[in-house]
Amino acid sequence: MKTSFISTSSLSASTRHSLAKVQQELADSLKEMDTGRYADVGRTLGYRTGDAISLRQEHARLTTMIETNSLVATRIKTTQSTIDNLVENAQDFSKQLLGYRIGGTNAIGAQTDAKSRLDGFLDQMNRSFGSGYLFAGVNSDVKPLADYFDTPTPANRQAVADAFFAEFGMTQSDPNVVNISATDMQSFLDTTFADLFADPAWGNDWSSASTQNMRSRISTSELIETSTNANESAFRKLAMAYTMVADLGTAALGQPAYEVVVDQATRVVNEAIQQLGDVQSILGISEQRVKDASDRMSVQIDILETHVTTLEGVDPNEAATRVSQLLTQMETSYALTSRIMSLSILNYL
Amino acid sequence: MSLSASLNAAVSSLATTADQTSVLSRNIARAGDSSASRKNAEVITVPGFGVRQASVTRVANVALFNNVLQSTSSASGYRVIADSLGQLEQTVNDTELDSSPAALLQKLNDALQRYSGAPDSLSAGQAAVAAARDVVTSLNNATKVVQTVRSQADADLAGAVGTLNSLLTRYGEVNAEIIKGTRVGADVTDHLDQRDQLLKQISEEIGIKTYTRANNDMAIYTDSGVTLFDGTARSISFQRTSTFSAGTVGNAVYADGVPITGSATTMGVDSGRINGLAKVRDDIAVTYQNQLDEVARGLITAFAESDQSVVPVLPDVAGLFTWSGGPALPGATLSPGLAASIKLNAAVDPDQGGDAKRLRDGGMGGAAYVYNAGGDAGFTNRIDQLVDKLNGAQAFDPAAKLSTTTNLKSFAAASAGWLEESRSSASNDADYGETLLVRSSDAHSKVTGVNLDEEMTLMLQLERTYQASSKLISTIDSMLDSLLTSIR
Repeated sequence: MKTSFISTSSLSASTRHSLAKVQQELADSLKEMDTGRYADVGRTLGYRTGDAISLRQEHARLTTMIETNSLVATRIKTTQSTIDNLVENAQDFSKQLLGYRIGGTNAIGAQTDAKSRLDGFLDQMNRSFGSGYLFAGVNSDVKPLADYFDTPTPANRQAVADAFFAEFGMTQSDPNVVNISATDMQSFLDTTFADLFADPAWGNDWSSASTQNMRSRISTSELIETSTNANESAFRKLAMAYTMVADLGTAALGQPAYEVVVDQATRVVNEAIQQLGDVQSILGISEQRVKDASDRMSVQIDILETHVTTLEGVDPNEAATRVSQLLTQMETSYALTSRIMSLSILNYL
Repeated sequence: MSLSASLNAAVSSLATTADQTSVLSRNIARAGDSSASRKNAEVITVPGFGVRQASVTRVANVALFNNVLQSTSSASGYRVIADSLGQLEQTVNDTELDSSPAALLQKLNDALQRYSGAPDSLSAGQAAVAAARDVVTSLNNATKVVQTVRSQADADLAGAVGTLNSLLTRYGEVNAEIIKGTRVGADVTDHLDQRDQLLKQISEEIGIKTYTRANNDMAIYTDSGVTLFDGTARSISFQRTSTFSAGTVGNAVYADGVPITGSATTMGVDSGRINGLAKVRDDIAVTYQNQLDEVARGLITAFAESDQSVVPVLPDVAGLFTWSGGPALPGATLSPGLAASIKLNAAVDPDQGGDAKRLRDGGMGGAAYVYNAGGDAGFTNRIDQLVDKLNGAQAFDPAAKLSTTTNLKSFAAASAGWLEESRSSASNDADYGETLLVRSSDAHSKVTGVNLDEEMTLMLQLERTYQASSKLISTIDSMLDSLLTSIR
């Protein structure tokens, strides 16, 4: 009969099984100590892995949005500084016009000055940003305003020349422009000339920009306009004022007509300055909204990071303690195995 | 009693001791074998003769052994499921790697967001198309993995059935030996051990119940009651399926003509490798494939283009993502294999001669589907709409066993969560099953196994008996000697 209830093979197997288990745990704990995350995140979290992935999705989404927001913010900032330049230039022009009003040689200076200012204005308006133009609205891959002084004569200059000729029966360079009366000039400026800067002439001759501004998604729920376009009245007026002084044969006009042109230009420039302020304040509101959205999302990102760490993270100190505990356990197990193996009745027979 | 009778008794003792020693050596020889049971030499006293070994018995414990069989089947079943889920898990991998379909969908969403920030940038458009390509590749590859796992399970089923058939044949041979030996009273203990060993191997493949009858004859039934062996081995049959794709239904395993796997059977086995493999092939992998197919369907639907004419007449067509049945959209319910056939629309894929700008402008389905009629480079409405659709709620088929109304990204994340949860619980079950197996084997071995110390002390005892008997013989010899001397 059998008298003992322990067999030799189960005695030796007992330490073997526990050793294998401890070794597996040790490998996992070492990895956790290194990375600070669970050794097998999916297995540990189970269904909560879905939550972890969702949190990471949200994190990536907000990060990208902040990234695109900074691009949008830079675009608005560049637009703002460009408009700043335009305003500065316009104010300067308005100041100069006061002096130019005396006429005589000043008239020549006024025309030259206006020409270079018109050139500068068009340059600023055609500023590009990234792979598009700042003031082009959604039609961002096309230069918004046509170059006035280009050769061959572009449509906008041709239109001004044609209008002038139709009104007065002579070209701008004709010496007879000296005979144009103040009344005729005033009526020309108010009607035919003003029409050149209104639709549809503006769209045909001057501008390729779209009236629709760029829209950007700056947060999950906010979709706002983040650009302006060259068709805004402020820009048309600036173009009108500069063109008026630059290209209506200004230098050769008689004093009364000349004064009409200068007065009209001063008025239009001042209106433009005021309207530029409006454009800037609208953009400023967008700028603020972008900044607010990004700030809000940064806070959310911090919270998400904490959540992810809470879900997937392991306290490295705890892992380290576990490692040393497991090592002790393994050493004990080894010692025990060798003791058990050396324990045999054969040694005593 | 005469001296010669004493001599006979002493000689019988020597012979019996030799017999006992041989049993003891057999025990010692198999001390390290966990499946060996301890053998006992039963000694009886024969009146007027001495002693002799009547029979050899073995220590057995039916209850503990049945425990071992049961835990063997459930451990091997769980292990198979856990291993297969481990293979499927490579489609999700560590959350940190962002390689799951859910994470790639997010990357696509991010790329679209960036494109929306710079709609006039061709490279931003191409980056969005590249992100879309990653999503397609990941779905295609995930389908491959799932179908490989199913096909592997099918092959393993065939292997398990083959093993089971040969085990049953061998079992029949050993069982016949045992019946024959028991009838004539021979020592069948080694055959009994061998039979137990075979039972353990059979229980790895399939959950079993045993029933012992006269002459140690033993019948085997599956845990669901189908006969595997009763007098003769019953045939287990299974037809392999050569290729697996989504929607392929694998064949059932038949035992004795009765189906023991599959949802249609009423006598399905509950444990063992065969059960685990069938579950993987017919249930787990199929559900996961359904989820992938639904993700693909959700993508194709979300990116579909609709007729932009003033009076729309044309039906919606596939946009950025299309499929083998494109440009028509898949139906509103599960469409098996969609995750395998989803692909990028050639009209938008620069690698296939397409134009990435169509992502911004629409028109992949033809001129009627152009959203950006003015061709404006800064047009973002369509991209913003796509982002909205990607994040908007959609309806999903209940066959995916996930939420039926949710947004695509959450659905994909939930799918990953479902997979990890299945894997986590399967691994825990497998660990538990293995621990149980170790414990029950241990308990069984403790009761029926050989203990060297016990055998060695027994050997001392036998040695003494042998010495004493020998001494007895020499003493009787000298007594006979002195008797013969006195009568000379």
